[in-house]
Amino acid sequence: MSGEVALLLSAALLVTVLSALFSRSMSITLIMMFYASIVLGVIFTIYQGILVGLLHIVTFAGAVSVMLLTVVLMTGQTDLNIGKRSLALSLAAVTILVVGAASYSLFSAAPSSAQAVQTMNILAFIWTLRPWDLLILVIVFAGAMTSVINLLSKEE
Amino acid sequence: MPSDQTVFITTAAVLIFLGVFAMSYSRNLLKTIISFQVIVFGANLALFSSGLGASSNLMANTLVLFSIVVGGSVEAVGLALIVLVHKKYGTLDPWKIRRLRD
Repeated sequence: MSGEVALLLSAALLVTVLSALFSRSMSITLIMMFYASIVLGVIFTIYQGILVGLLHIVTFAGAVSVMLLTVVLMTGQTDLNIGKRSLALSLAAVTILVVGAASYSLFSAAPSSAQAVQTMNILAFIWTLRPWDLLILVIVFAGAMTSVINLLSKEE
Repeated sequence: MPSDQTVFITTAAVLIFLGVFAMSYSRNLLKTIISFQVIVFGANLALFSSGLGASSNLMANTLVLFSIVVGGSVEAVGLALIVLVHKKYGTLDPWKIRRLRD
C-alpha cells in the first residue's frame, strides 16, 4: 500500500476528530465521531485487519454512537461548553505540532519491527511492540500537559 | 515518503494527546467520554500499526480486538454514570458538581 493512502486516511481521521472535539454543537460532534470511527475502520480493513475493522465499525460507529445519542436525548445536553475556543484551538495546534514532530522523529529513526526482532535477542518480544515506545512518550508528557491545561480551563 | 507504520504511529500519538488535552480542558462529562473515545482510537491505531512491519500481524490484531471490546465496555459504564450524575445533580459540569457536593 502506498504511503499517500496512509497520509490521506490519517489526515481524514485527524480532521474528523478535531471537528468533533472543538465543535460547540453536540450533533456535529456525534456525526464527526461517527465518521472518525468509519475512517479508522477503513484503515484497519485496508491494511489486512478485516475482522478488526468490521468489529471497530460495529462497536464504535454502531453501538457507542447509539449509546451517546441516547444519553444526549436523556440529559438534554446539546450545547458543549469547551471554554475559550481560541485558547483551546491554539493549544490543540501546539499539541499536534509538538507531539507529531517528536513522535515522527522518534519512530522514523527507530528500526522497524521486523529489524528489531533480529537485532535484539533477550528483550525482542518487548520491542517488537512499538506501542511500548509510545507508552513511554505518553507517560512523560501527559502528566505535565494535563495539569497545565486543567489550570487554564478553570472558571474565573 | 515516510512509511505507513511511521505515519500511523505519529497519528496515534497525536490522537492520544488530543484526547488527553480535550479531556482535561472540557467542562462537560459527555465531552470527557468523547475524549476518552479518541484516546481509545489512538491506542487501537498504535496497536494495529505495531504489527504492520512484522511478517505476521496476528498478535497486533488480537490486541486491537481486546482493546475495542474493553473500550466499548468502559464507555458504556461511563455513559451510565453520566445519566446517574445528571439525575442527581442536574448538571454535567464537573466544577458545578464539585460545588454541589460540598
